[in-house]
Amino acid sequence: MEILVCIKQVPDDSVNVKMNPATGAPDLSNITPIVNAFDTYALEMATRLKEAVGGTITVVCVGPDKAKDAIKTCLAVGASNGFIVKDEVTDTISTADALAKAVAKIEEAQGVKFDLIFCGKETTDCASGQVGTMLAANLDVPVIPNLVDIEAIDGGISAKQETEEGYNVVEAATPCVVTVTKPAYDPRYPTIKSKMAARKIPIGELEVGGVAAAAVSVVANAEPPKKEAGIKIQEETIGDSMAKAIAMMKEAKVF
Amino acid sequence: MGCKNVMVYVETAEGKPVNVGLEMLTAAKEVAEKVTAVVIGAADAAATTIAYGADEAITVDAAEYNTEAYAGIMAALVKKYAPEMVFVGGTPNGKDLGARLAATLKAGCVTDVIAIKEADGKVVLTAPLYGGCIYSDSTVDGDVAIAIIRGGAFKKADEPDTAKTGAITAETVEAADLRAKIVNSVQEISESVNLEEAEIIVAGGRGVGSPENYELVKELAGLLGGVVGATRPVIEEGWISRAHQVGQSGKIVAPKLYIAFGISGAAQHVSGITGSDFIVAVNKDEDAPIFEVANIGIVGNCIDALQIMIEEVKKMKSE
Repeated sequence: MEILVCIKQVPDDSVNVKMNPATGAPDLSNITPIVNAFDTYALEMATRLKEAVGGTITVVCVGPDKAKDAIKTCLAVGASNGFIVKDEVTDTISTADALAKAVAKIEEAQGVKFDLIFCGKETTDCASGQVGTMLAANLDVPVIPNLVDIEAIDGGISAKQETEEGYNVVEAATPCVVTVTKPAYDPRYPTIKSKMAARKIPIGELEVGGVAAAAVSVVANAEPPKKEAGIKIQEETIGDSMAKAIAMMKEAKVF
Repeated sequence: MGCKNVMVYVETAEGKPVNVGLEMLTAAKEVAEKVTAVVIGAADAAATTIAYGADEAITVDAAEYNTEAYAGIMAALVKKYAPEMVFVGGTPNGKDLGARLAATLKAGCVTDVIAIKEADGKVVLTAPLYGGCIYSDSTVDGDVAIAIIRGGAFKKADEPDTAKTGAITAETVEAADLRAKIVNSVQEISESVNLEEAEIIVAGGRGVGSPENYELVKELAGLLGGVVGATRPVIEEGWISRAHQVGQSGKIVAPKLYIAFGISGAAQHVSGITGSDFIVAVNKDEDAPIFEVANIGIVGNCIDALQIMIEEVKKMKSE
């Protein structure tokens, strides 16, 4: 199976982002860029599928030159080829359009047609969850969102899609797009050997041109209003602390 | 007014509008001259949308929810009625529907909208970025803008105005061929967990330590008539079902009282609880970020604290 995994490089989501008052933009300068967590789940699911049925995984990332690091990370844990798309994108419409155009270019460059395109269900920075679905619309192929598992069936795929109460089993013909949420397993770690091998793989650079104009424009950013600081209790014993806390809760009529 | 006509897709469950569906009607009233509610496959819910603020309602007959089918219906209605904005509730299905509708219409779409205002005649949508660390204001260009509204961000009308009248129009949209077919639907989580409407939530994080200790969280919630909340790590550990998850990737809650045991307060969790009226947090780490949003913070062992609070509630009940 020919598989494409779309990834995004995002700031480490375990770090709290602050505003830079001088620029009026979020200050990301000291935050390590990583591969979006949901994209790592997508890559792991794609890699397991590849190991089961054979095939090749290509990774594509829309982003600046430094996003090549994110692609290299993926090349060490399952992907065989990587492409960076350097066109400027600022919202989901422009991102999905750049990706759709990149799909055609990569297919031409590699002389293949992708059977399956994986995306994370959302990114940890913007969390819009729109790009995978928009990409499918642009390519005019089916999309199955929020997968926790996938298997190949005759002529297509059978996917386990997370729902609020459990899961759906959804089938679609290939080619199709799937988006991935957290499965029951964790992504694998690279080995020294796989990292060394990944470093030798050249990353293709693309400029697709004529990317659709963005429809959403950010006009202002701010940190959320701070809640008024409450009272912190740390008495000699937890019993004393709790007695004080419970008295205050009763006084506030919440208990 | 920021725009003339807002179309609100009101999701239903067992024939009744879900909360965020009714909350969006309040939000829509603030920016639109006319609010049109759409209910699909649950015509009886249309009257409820009028009573909660819609000026008129459209009903469409359809089988049970399917994103591809419902987005097709909404796209047809948008083409016919030409609203300037479409609101969709940020439930899991709503997020899919909004994204699919945006893709179909090639429309700009903002997810997780928590506030709506007007500036220079334009509608400005506020949504959290970076796990809730930054609030970002956006405007949307184009004929139609789609806003996926976060549950709990707006309040539904206190009381339905059952005397209010509004036109209810039945529309027919031809069903399109579905390319992704649901062949089986499996219910794994049978308990009904209503975090969004809970008045008291007792939540436990990884600091609770073990599934055995987690029983204490459940016990206290039960004694207080509250609902159990949980963080993502706890769900991943399998201590409780994901129906209990609170935060960015779970439910956004606004109870009168939120008690957090062993929760450090990652931004992704905190952004889901800041609507709570009163927050009490117990954590052994005095620098835990949860204390920045807590009305009362207790530094100490959360298992001891749980046991003490359980005894206290039992005592209060027996008095």
